[in-house]
Amino acid sequence: MNPVLVEIYSTVAPSMPFIIGAYALMWVAILVYALIIMFGFKKAEKQMAVLEEALAEQQGR
Amino acid sequence: MTGETKKAPKLPEAGQWPDRIAPAVLVAGIVLSTIGFLLAFLWASPVNGAAVNGVEMIGGQMVTNVLLLSQKIFYFHMPVAITSFAALAFAGYYAVRFLMTKNRRFDTCSKIAMEVALLFVACTMITGDLWTRFEWGVWWTWDPRLTTYLILMLIIIAYFILRNAIDEPERRATYGAVLAIIALIDVPICFMVTRLIPSSIHPVVVREGGMSGDMGITLMFCLAGIAMVGFALYRLRFRQVRLTERVEALKEQLED
Repeated sequence: MNPVLVEIYSTVAPSMPFIIGAYALMWVAILVYALIIMFGFKKAEKQMAVLEEALAEQQGR
Repeated sequence: MTGETKKAPKLPEAGQWPDRIAPAVLVAGIVLSTIGFLLAFLWASPVNGAAVNGVEMIGGQMVTNVLLLSQKIFYFHMPVAITSFAALAFAGYYAVRFLMTKNRRFDTCSKIAMEVALLFVACTMITGDLWTRFEWGVWWTWDPRLTTYLILMLIIIAYFILRNAIDEPERRATYGAVLAIIALIDVPICFMVTRLIPSSIHPVVVREGGMSGDMGITLMFCLAGIAMVGFALYRLRFRQVRLTERVEALKEQLED
């Protein structure tokens, strides 16, 4: 590659890990929060189903 | 009859229309963010750094400066920061509503908005710090915007520490609401500080016309996408918390 182009692109490759890191970590943080919500919701739904069943049983007596 | 109505357990509601559209909004937000990401790298003009000793033709344009790819972080750094401010505005609003009405629903709304704010503050810190590390060679610098934003982050962390330290729900909600309002007060300070104390790291880009049209459009896609993701996360979390509260209410009903 000619020296002028080398100089023009000199910061592109070294900055790559930082750019990839910034985007990846940002989306990982959002994904982790979304997963916490999803697992919490599923757990609450399961508990709800058990409780509704128990309540129906109690009311049936 | 009236006595019976009063005795009936009040179950926290969930599943209103914003909850129903939240998954679709989340998908739309991810799609818009992805379009923004592609535009940032494939369409938006690169930002120039220091001048080089010569001229080269790249993509039909005469280039005389070092190309700064690290600036591409900006397309997501600013939207996550704006979304964190918006979440804090909602948290403050619901905190005021709670203090006025003492309705626990507003406390839940405020707490969830603070959670979303903390998430986006963390994203802003991650993206900003990685840029600073590459461009400046340091992880941290006491720039006015960074300092006020750090204070904001510490207030939000203090909010959750305070909430966990108090057992009584009413007192916990009241103290939390006061801290959410203090965090909201820091938002305009944090936003305006670059206008009051000019800084090279955080130039006032929009007002001074420092963005070309392609950059502005790319930023709008990213901003809309991230704002939608923020809203969807807020509503999904709200639905989950309200469902958990319903479970607790049903447990009490069963025990009675």
